[in-house]
Amino acid sequence: MPFFAGEIFVSEIINKPVLDQTGEELGRLRDIVISAGEPFPAVSALVVAAGRTVYVIPWDIVNLFNRRVISVNILKKNITPAVVSPNDILISRDMLDKQIVDIDGAKLVRVNDLELGDVKGKLSLVAADIGLRGLLRRLGFESRGEKLLSLFGYKLQHKLIGWHYLQPVEPRLSKLTLTVSGQKVAQMHPADLAEIISEVSQKERTALFGSLDVETAAEALHELEPQVQADIIDDMSKEKASDILEQMPPDEAADVLGDLPEAKAQELIQMMDKDEAEDVQELLEHEDNTAGGLMTTEFLSFPEDMTVEDAIRDLRLAAPDVESIYYLYIVDAEERLVGVISLKNLILARPHEKMHEIMKTPVKTLPPDAKQTDVAELISKYNFLAAPVVDENMIMHGIVTVDDVLDFLLPTASRKKRRRR
Amino acid sequence: MTRWRKILILLSVIGPGIITANVDNDAGGIATYSMAGAHFGYTLLWALIPITIALIVVQEMSARMGAVTGKGLAELIRENYGVKITFWLMLFLFVTDLGNTAAEFAGWAASNEMFGVNKYVSVPLGALIVWLLVVKGSYRVVEKIFLVICLVYLVYIPAAIMAKPDWSDVALQTFKPSFHFNTIYIVMLIGVIGTTIAPWMQFYIQSSIVEKGIKKEEYWASRIDVIFGCFMTDFIAFFIIVACGATLFKAGIRVDSAEAAAKSLAPLAGGHASVLFAIGLANASLFSASILPLATAYYICEGMGWEAGISKTFKEAPQFMWLYTILIAIGALIVLIPNAPLISIMWISQVINGMMLPPVLILMLFLINKEELMAQYRNSRTFNWIAWATVGIMIAMTATFVVTLFI
Repeated sequence: MPFFAGEIFVSEIINKPVLDQTGEELGRLRDIVISAGEPFPAVSALVVAAGRTVYVIPWDIVNLFNRRVISVNILKKNITPAVVSPNDILISRDMLDKQIVDIDGAKLVRVNDLELGDVKGKLSLVAADIGLRGLLRRLGFESRGEKLLSLFGYKLQHKLIGWHYLQPVEPRLSKLTLTVSGQKVAQMHPADLAEIISEVSQKERTALFGSLDVETAAEALHELEPQVQADIIDDMSKEKASDILEQMPPDEAADVLGDLPEAKAQELIQMMDKDEAEDVQELLEHEDNTAGGLMTTEFLSFPEDMTVEDAIRDLRLAAPDVESIYYLYIVDAEERLVGVISLKNLILARPHEKMHEIMKTPVKTLPPDAKQTDVAELISKYNFLAAPVVDENMIMHGIVTVDDVLDFLLPTASRKKRRRR
Repeated sequence: MTRWRKILILLSVIGPGIITANVDNDAGGIATYSMAGAHFGYTLLWALIPITIALIVVQEMSARMGAVTGKGLAELIRENYGVKITFWLMLFLFVTDLGNTAAEFAGWAASNEMFGVNKYVSVPLGALIVWLLVVKGSYRVVEKIFLVICLVYLVYIPAAIMAKPDWSDVALQTFKPSFHFNTIYIVMLIGVIGTTIAPWMQFYIQSSIVEKGIKKEEYWASRIDVIFGCFMTDFIAFFIIVACGATLFKAGIRVDSAEAAAKSLAPLAGGHASVLFAIGLANASLFSASILPLATAYYICEGMGWEAGISKTFKEAPQFMWLYTILIAIGALIVLIPNAPLISIMWISQVINGMMLPPVLILMLFLINKEELMAQYRNSRTFNWIAWATVGIMIAMTATFVVTLFI
């Protein structure tokens, strides 16, 4: 079996010498044959050219395959020249530089480079590089370009589209189509979906969003950049927009609404379900970068004299509508926060024990105006999945979850990648 | 197919060929023909016949590739010859077309000054008009406006008639090649022929045929469009040379620019001829100031795979619209900045233009002979001979023209 490691860009290996068993040069790597297979087509042979002589080398007899050495387990005198069959799919000839279009046929960009990687032990075509970095690599300027741009404080990002988002390969394609349509979209993870949505043009975006069910749309919308979110909401009918916002956790809905013009946001809030609207309204009043702005108003709270058995039953009923169920907050008769129980401890407790017997006190809390860095510090120091936000009377208003904290700690890493260019 | 149906198809297809060919008579073209007439009378007229043939041969191939493949020239080059060659070609062509756009705005400014309009008024206004046209218009509408603009070129016909040329001498010189072993004459001849074919034309005609959606079944009509356009263009060039030859040459006035020719016509052929010349120059300059950036935006977007088209909006094709906007803005600014080195910019863009022509034409010939692209629409054996010979001669003439720029 051939040895290959990590990810390789096609432009890094095309035209590299290919050596035989004794280290003699067979010729140069001209192209790579792949076999049609979903979702990632596997490499099946190498096309090696020495002058006008062409060898087609089956992948099984390749020994080393990386950006420094390509060698085969055969002697030069033992291989015979061959021709590429017309049904073969060649990576460089058939895929590189091809146009990528979206489902409606609008042109997006061209394939600047292709990435090969390990899929279940087989070297396969994993992604198309559509970014500036891929272009510079093809032109032979990758490292120089990177240095130059770093002088301006700009980091050259990889911009890849996973091959599974592109249509199955065929020989002699004239263009590649993004497969963001129908059922495939529904099966996608919302974060992946968001990635695709950032790639397609405005018009198709709205169409694509219209085709999603409210729940998927709500999840995908949250993953997008604020400007894109606002554009999409703007283009959508108000009924659909308010339905989607209702479906989102209140803090995320508030984020989206916060980026819309005031009048439009208020109009959408009016159309939302009353309870949801109140939650969102409250969140909108907090500063974006404080605990109040980050928090969600959906959390689980239970009275201190409830039994574990009853709590587990109530939890089952309430859980579908609540984002974070890992902590149960215990409140006294005056609704003041008195303790907390983790989901694990609840399950491990005996059924007839009371909440106040197993809860932990005192609770680490945050005031609504706590800065986001303080929020992050608290959550990270105690390894919390969420932290409660309480006012001066210990009345609980919401929780800040760890993913909200990650979102502001790593906004560039997770979102820049999705930016169109 | 009935005759009426054929005429209907012809009328719907016509446009790209006529428009592209007419832009060949841009500010620089009119200057060259005016100078040719003023310096050498009718003795360069014969050159228009081979120029027309060369123009038809090359333009027809681009139009054919557009109709058959449905792709622009830059698209085909990128898909068949890779990103490296495409990138450098685009980069150099961008520079030369930017320089040429500035030259068109300079022509527009000069002709407006003849009507007493200051360039700080005319240039921004002209830039705004061509910008709005493409950004707000759809392909169908913009093409119709362009075709009307092409009709304005006909003003050179009455201008030539007012110059009262000796028509029998004109006819004789047109069909009887003459040659003068005189350095200036040869340089002029090379200039006239060497600037006939520019790389942007090949890209523009193919892209506009693609955007118009002309199919290979309708291609016969496009061929008529191309041939008619090339004849019309050189017909106009003919009248420019005749007008200048009958007046300036006889009077011994040696002009070195289109606006100087227009001014000098007034005492010789009357104020009307002078005004017509100025209108022709203004029209041609502004027309080309729109088409050149348009061609550039087309080929760069095709090469990169971005959405492109006059009918698209800023939202649908942002790169296309921005490229067009930036080219027009910079082109206009170069003319407006006091002491901008316009002459050097034009010189550099002419040199790069000449250097880029051979690769573009040769790649075109390779592409049009590819079976997987063109199938039965490839060049025939005979046509290939004509095409290679034409391309060879054009490359040689252009190369010589570039060399004369250094003398």
